[in-house]
Amino acid sequence: MTAATLPTPSVDEKKDPDTGKLGMWVFLASELLFFGGLFVAYLYGRTHFPAGWAEGSRHTDVLLGTVNTAVLLTSSAAVALAVACEEDARQWRWTARLLALTAALGVAFLVIKGLEWHSEWREHLVPGPAFALKAPGAQQFFALYFLMTGLHGVHMACGIAVLAVLARGRSRERAWAGARQLEVAALYWHFVDIAWIFLYPLLYLVERHG
Amino acid sequence: MADDRAAPSAFARERRTIALAWIALLLLMLASLGSAYLKLGPWNMVAGLVVAGIKAAIVAWLFMRLREAGPLIRLAAVAGLGAWCLLVALSGVDYATRTPTPAPVQPPRQLPPAQAASEPR
Repeated sequence: MTAATLPTPSVDEKKDPDTGKLGMWVFLASELLFFGGLFVAYLYGRTHFPAGWAEGSRHTDVLLGTVNTAVLLTSSAAVALAVACEEDARQWRWTARLLALTAALGVAFLVIKGLEWHSEWREHLVPGPAFALKAPGAQQFFALYFLMTGLHGVHMACGIAVLAVLARGRSRERAWAGARQLEVAALYWHFVDIAWIFLYPLLYLVERHG
Repeated sequence: MADDRAAPSAFARERRTIALAWIALLLLMLASLGSAYLKLGPWNMVAGLVVAGIKAAIVAWLFMRLREAGPLIRLAAVAGLGAWCLLVALSGVDYATRTPTPAPVQPPRQLPPAQAASEPR
């Protein structure tokens, strides 16, 4: 398949370098509304069941949550650096490595999250008949906790897959793993990072001083 | 060498920006963690969200390159945020103004047969 045999694309990406990015930004706006509904549910719960929210949040693992936040912030910086490297021919050798590092940090995040979920399961913090906490609303807090972190985890898994494929494609210098594709994928990864930036204080840091 | 000295600026500047942003993000994360252990009442939540907002702005402005984006992309980014704020405000009209009235707990009971219930006592 050569470029000469292909028909002229309806969108000339050389003339419109923003097309891919704009598409991703519009998608991210829809993602914001997707997560946004859960944030509204959270706000309702926190204002109506403050005691349950405080007790629930105190039973989350703040150490692992903070470590995971640092891991995710670092991964965001790594993918931003990968995009910058791709734009400078002398730094190209770093692009694929930084993409692989980002994906690896994503995997580390999910492993830590998995450990957290496992210990919460053992402590009977999963909503259900054997739920451990008594404060009204604590069960709703943990229902939202698992829903929001679970949804975020699914987004992480998608991002890890995309970045891993791009890292492999970039190291073999495939045309589909170029600067533009990379920048669009990086936008998605940064969005997943932003979602966690808000989940961190909302889930782990409620009434910690109590 | 002259070429090497002319070109490094763009990448080197970008790398420096990313490094500074990363350090700022980690420091803000620690600030938000620390603020959670102070007794600030409702301001705990405000502090957490303000710090999160600053962190999100750093990521969007520098990492997602809204800083150098054209008006179309900035508009798409703001449109999503605006739509979400609108929906939060509209949801708040209901949830923030309504007092929840939980239904009293009712013990399970056997209802009389429908026919017997309809007969006059």
